[in-house]
Amino acid sequence: MSTEQQAIGQAEMELRQQGSRRVAGSTQNFLKLHAPFDKMTVEALQLFADKAQLTFYAAGSEIVGPDSGNVRFFYLIESGKVQARQAGEVTVTEYSILSLSAGESFPIGAVTAGRPSTNTYTAVEDTFCYQLPAEDFLTLMATSREFNLFCTQYIASLLNQSRQQLQLQFAQRASEQQTLNSPLAGIGSRSPVSVAPETPLRAALESMSKAGVGSLVIAGNDRKPVGVFTRSDLLDRVVLADLPQTAPISQAMSPAPFMLEEHATAYDAMLAMATNGIRHVLVTDAEGKLTGVVSERDLFALQRVGLRQIRQTIESAANVEALQQSAADVRQLSFNMLAQGVGAEQLTQFISVLNDALTRRVIQLNLENHNFDGIEWAWLAFGSEGRDEQTFSTDQDNGIVFACADEAAVDGLRQRFLAFALGVNKDLDRCGFPLCKGNIMASNPQWCLSLDEWKEQFSQWIRVPQPEALLNATIFFDFRTLFGKAELAEAMRRHLLMQTSSNPMFLRCMAQNALDVEPPLGKIRDFLTDLEPDQPGKIDLKKYGSRIFVDVARIYALATGVHNTNSVQRLRLASKRLSIRDEEINAVLEGLDFIQLLRLRHQYLEGEPGRQGDNLINPDNLNELDRRILKESFRQARKIQTRLKLDYQVH
Amino acid sequence: MVFGLKDFLFKGGARSPANLPEDVRQALADWRATKAPALDGPHFHTRYVVIDIATSGPRAAEDELQGLAAVGLPNGAIQPADAFALDLSAEDADDAAVDRRLTAFLTYAAKAPLVTYHGPFVAGFLQRAFKERLGVDFQPQWVDLAWLLPSLFHEKSMVTLPLDDWLEMFGIAGSGRRDTMANTLMLARLFQMLLVRATGKEIATAGKLIEESQAATFLRRNH
Repeated sequence: MSTEQQAIGQAEMELRQQGSRRVAGSTQNFLKLHAPFDKMTVEALQLFADKAQLTFYAAGSEIVGPDSGNVRFFYLIESGKVQARQAGEVTVTEYSILSLSAGESFPIGAVTAGRPSTNTYTAVEDTFCYQLPAEDFLTLMATSREFNLFCTQYIASLLNQSRQQLQLQFAQRASEQQTLNSPLAGIGSRSPVSVAPETPLRAALESMSKAGVGSLVIAGNDRKPVGVFTRSDLLDRVVLADLPQTAPISQAMSPAPFMLEEHATAYDAMLAMATNGIRHVLVTDAEGKLTGVVSERDLFALQRVGLRQIRQTIESAANVEALQQSAADVRQLSFNMLAQGVGAEQLTQFISVLNDALTRRVIQLNLENHNFDGIEWAWLAFGSEGRDEQTFSTDQDNGIVFACADEAAVDGLRQRFLAFALGVNKDLDRCGFPLCKGNIMASNPQWCLSLDEWKEQFSQWIRVPQPEALLNATIFFDFRTLFGKAELAEAMRRHLLMQTSSNPMFLRCMAQNALDVEPPLGKIRDFLTDLEPDQPGKIDLKKYGSRIFVDVARIYALATGVHNTNSVQRLRLASKRLSIRDEEINAVLEGLDFIQLLRLRHQYLEGEPGRQGDNLINPDNLNELDRRILKESFRQARKIQTRLKLDYQVH
Repeated sequence: MVFGLKDFLFKGGARSPANLPEDVRQALADWRATKAPALDGPHFHTRYVVIDIATSGPRAAEDELQGLAAVGLPNGAIQPADAFALDLSAEDADDAAVDRRLTAFLTYAAKAPLVTYHGPFVAGFLQRAFKERLGVDFQPQWVDLAWLLPSLFHEKSMVTLPLDDWLEMFGIAGSGRRDTMANTLMLARLFQMLLVRATGKEIATAGKLIEESQAATFLRRNH
């Protein structure tokens, strides 16, 4: 080839490269909008964009299926909708049908393993897909940590991103609520008392006294601060220094005061105070003009809410009024934790711990008027409280168990406990735990029982598993001692587990009951939002979400003799005894965690102050990432339901 | 550079091959000698090149060609490796370089059928540029989406429409202004959809599609 021809070849190569760069740029613009690509390095995105081809699939056409042989591409949906349908028999580990939309990819497992897809993927709408050849997919897996994580821990990595988004969202809220992240512009005194440097000492002190402040800013005519004068300076710099009252304030002030601009945070101010040993920080605008003063005390006020303080306040509260304030603090602190990105499992447990402390204090206060000396008894929590899974909106579910050897004395003793329980129930209501609508409360004679009565009640439900018995089982079998003799509750638990293990029929009925409700996944649409007739467009995240996990967890716990009541612990422990793989159960737990997180977030963000938040969310209002995770979480719910179905032969 | 190019492109008339750099002459001779690809295979086996151009105005006879962007669809898919972008408004090239770049496009396109929106408009600018600059009578096979879309998707529209209307109807409209390559990519996507429809209507080869495009243009223009 001659050098001349090479010149043309060179030009063509350059212009092709230019074209390729622009095509890849357009692909990158798409990738940047979607997880996990938005977190990937420039090089990784470049690799994807350079190699991925864009293909069109008309509605109704098959994209890839078991018959297409080993999967040759990793598919990323650019637009449209794809339905995945499991070929052959339904297995425990997979969903049967699911729908995927823009930003979602498939078939990750098959392309990683270089095998045919087990699912058939069909375009249900006109669909464009980016197709990354398998070898480039593997290169990307090997070179991009984010992508590898995404493919190997699909749901977990999405969840992480959602939490990060949540943190951002809450950082906004949190700053409105004045945490240490809030800018100084909104904290402390906005109109600090200031005087000119030449002001005589006496006049300066008078203006301090008149304004009732402990500090004074000395600023020039340009409002730029030159010094600070505080009450402690009065001793050292005036009285002990024998300074005449006619001397200008500039001789007594501490010069070169510490200043921060308005957009600095409370945290910055706190750090400055700690580092420089000062009690005041002056706040200025961008030009250095005085706009405010922040004192140490202002910053303490921001930190009023802290875990230790709340516990101490609760445990030393003298009356219900004091506890009401603590209840509000618990709420506030849980919000702050939500804002810091604490996961739902920890958060609900944390709420439970503080609510437990609160309930215990209410019980103690009421015990001042009742004497149960010499009687063994315990205050029981049921339902979500019994499972340590309380959200912000939790009503009371409680009962009492007491030991009474003399059968004739049971009723008399019950009356005494009922009177006491009524007081506790009412006080809890005042502290923000509404009375139970179903009257599942210790002040109801039905749920204020002797140990033998409880055992008999449990046995009866298990022997005759009628619908009401099954419903009760879902509430009462999740019990926990809040106060009193824990041995009584343990005796109840041993009895319960013994009964259930000798009555397989009962668990089967429980399973049947648990399978009545299915996760709201659509065959074509992402979600079914018309399940609640009076709430069109919304999904009840409790009824169609967390409850599915909770119900399955309970059944497996009873079946495997797990003593715990918390659903996460139940599933973890039961899965060990059932030899379910860790990855599998972790994905399930992450699904539950996300749904709980959404509930908490919804109750906080959507709830009106002073009103009970609900569990109804509109999936259209979620961002794309959260929608995807919610979908995946529902798939996990379906997955454990499928397992339950097989294990108990329920059809 | 633009002025120099203008002088060459728009004043001089057809350029004598004798004035072209030697390598360009050789490349053009090679290009002329290559056989155009067969057009009787299925669309999937035909390499189409989708193209859009940037101009200084609407009239091919007076306004300037400022650039072009093209993507190849070698198997019905948009392949990043098969793309071409030429920016004539860049001021970094001498005349010989411009000759080489225009020639490079011919080599890149390799006589594949060209797909665009409003073929006569695009063809007019290209013909003039290749004629005046390289002395080449550029007469590729055109597939004109502007006329084919109403012909194959008449349930959406029976008449020709602005491109953006089609994009919106197909739900592939991006937001904001598009550069030439972005426009080309949009056209390529419309074309991908059109190929599926055409195959369904038994317009299964490139040859037939080109015929259909010509017929649609003729019929709709004249009736």
